[in-house]
Amino acid sequence: MSKIRITVLIIIALLIILCSLFLGPRVINPFGLSEVEKEIVFSIRLPRVVVAVLMGMALGAAGAVLQGVLRNPLADPYILGISSGASLTAALGLLSGFYSFGRFTLPLTAFIGASLVSLLVGAFGWKRGGLWPERLLLAGVGLSFLFHAILMLLMSVSTNEGLRRALLWIFGDLSMADWSLIPYGLVFIAAGLFIALLRAKALNALILGDEFTHSLGFSANRERLLLFVSMALMTAASVSLGGTIGFIGLLMPHIMRFVAGADSRALIPASALGGGAFLCLADLIGKSIFTPMEVPSGIVTAIIGSPYFLYLLRRRDVLSI
Amino acid sequence: MSSAYSAPVLELERVGFTYSPDKKIVDNLTFSAGNGEFIGLLGANGSGKSTILKLASGILKPSEGSITLWGKPLQSYRNKDRAKLLSYFPQLLDINVPFRVRDLVSMGLYPYDIPPRITADEAMEAVGLKEKAESYITNLSGGERRRAFIAMTLLQGAGLLLLDEPLANLDIKYQIELLRLLKELKDNKNISIIMALHDINIALRFEKVMLIKGGRILGIGKPVTVLSKEMLEEAFDVSIEIRRSETGGTYIGNEKNF
Repeated sequence: MSKIRITVLIIIALLIILCSLFLGPRVINPFGLSEVEKEIVFSIRLPRVVVAVLMGMALGAAGAVLQGVLRNPLADPYILGISSGASLTAALGLLSGFYSFGRFTLPLTAFIGASLVSLLVGAFGWKRGGLWPERLLLAGVGLSFLFHAILMLLMSVSTNEGLRRALLWIFGDLSMADWSLIPYGLVFIAAGLFIALLRAKALNALILGDEFTHSLGFSANRERLLLFVSMALMTAASVSLGGTIGFIGLLMPHIMRFVAGADSRALIPASALGGGAFLCLADLIGKSIFTPMEVPSGIVTAIIGSPYFLYLLRRRDVLSI
Repeated sequence: MSSAYSAPVLELERVGFTYSPDKKIVDNLTFSAGNGEFIGLLGANGSGKSTILKLASGILKPSEGSITLWGKPLQSYRNKDRAKLLSYFPQLLDINVPFRVRDLVSMGLYPYDIPPRITADEAMEAVGLKEKAESYITNLSGGERRRAFIAMTLLQGAGLLLLDEPLANLDIKYQIELLRLLKELKDNKNISIIMALHDINIALRFEKVMLIKGGRILGIGKPVTVLSKEMLEEAFDVSIEIRRSETGGTYIGNEKNF
């Protein structure tokens, strides 16, 4: 049953990707491409689709991992302060006139911030040789508030135009996507996803609690650390590719539990697939609906995703997490 | 496990455990479990039953003393190898993720590259959950959930089971069925079982019981000697009455009604 559903999911994802390439503010006929249209498809639309798919995959998979590791249905990759930390370092970098890496400056500073915050949250969550879920969560929420406050402070006292741009970007903007960043994002996201899939059985065991994890032959501390690293890699890469996109990390795993089941071996790839397809669709809608204006994808994901999720919640007799 | 093993299945030697130096949770504990032994672990709340089972399973590391599993130090086993020999069943089953019963039970196979003797279907059948294989674990009653986890433990197929209050939340019917199932495993597959329990009257039917107080062994052996009025009063700090029925059964209770 779930095999059929996953096949359907894959087909839908491929259709969405194709639509994103050829539909949009300008509809392109794939069978008679002019030179200009080739340029639009391969230099503008394709990299944007790839970025959307990569970010959505990373967020969906990271959400599925984190909800299991923290044993908490409300966990989303941003709850640990990773995105607000990334925004803060990106903003600080711009304010201090750090432009040495050209167009890589924003993504690079964001990635550094995301990685530093992951380490910091991990350090706060560490006790007696392991990561403690409640400590991680509380440390993340606490740090998140702090970073937000500092960011707001910077915004209210600064007149720097670059900072405004950075903030817009950090709140989820795919319009700057081009090929240059994709290889870096791809490497980190693929590494994170690889670890997550490799440790999916251990994640299932962790969901049952540390004692069953031990009894089933895993070290709970070791597995939690590995999965945390996997989640942090995917989240940091996603933030530096296109900023912060809400909804997917929190709710895609819940939606996919209806579709593919709760077993992490199916849930992680399904959440990745669903997240990628969904962000791609949201971006297509966002750039088409009010042309020539663009609605940021993060807004679209929330506006179309949340009602669907609430509908599922009412309809299905499943207590999801 | 075959009888080729001459060493006891599990051996604790002068084991102590403490979180802080002034209070020992487990103190100077020495006992062993042989092949096919079924030991009931009794004691008041907070007496250290759960801690003893966690030490024996390797979840907690002893502050002093040594623990051996089939003649080798427990800590020397690789996690996966240990999981094929020893299975631990915690007291609290806290699950809020909608795994299907079949998927949950199949997790018992995680330590294995090659699936062992019994299948997930057989394990579910053994606990009477076969017709609920496709149900969500979160939609089952407390007792059914417990049986699903027990099926997972059965599928894991370890030779030593350490069970912390597996009878809690079970109707009397399933208590009896589970005890029968465990006895069958012991009789037919020579599996060793150490099980914490609360019901003294069920403990009376065990071949061997261990009475714990303050992290120490008060008595170990046949129930008829260990579960005497004096020992039980000492262990539970309450007056105890032992009645014998005309048919020869024994019933232990408190002389006062509440």
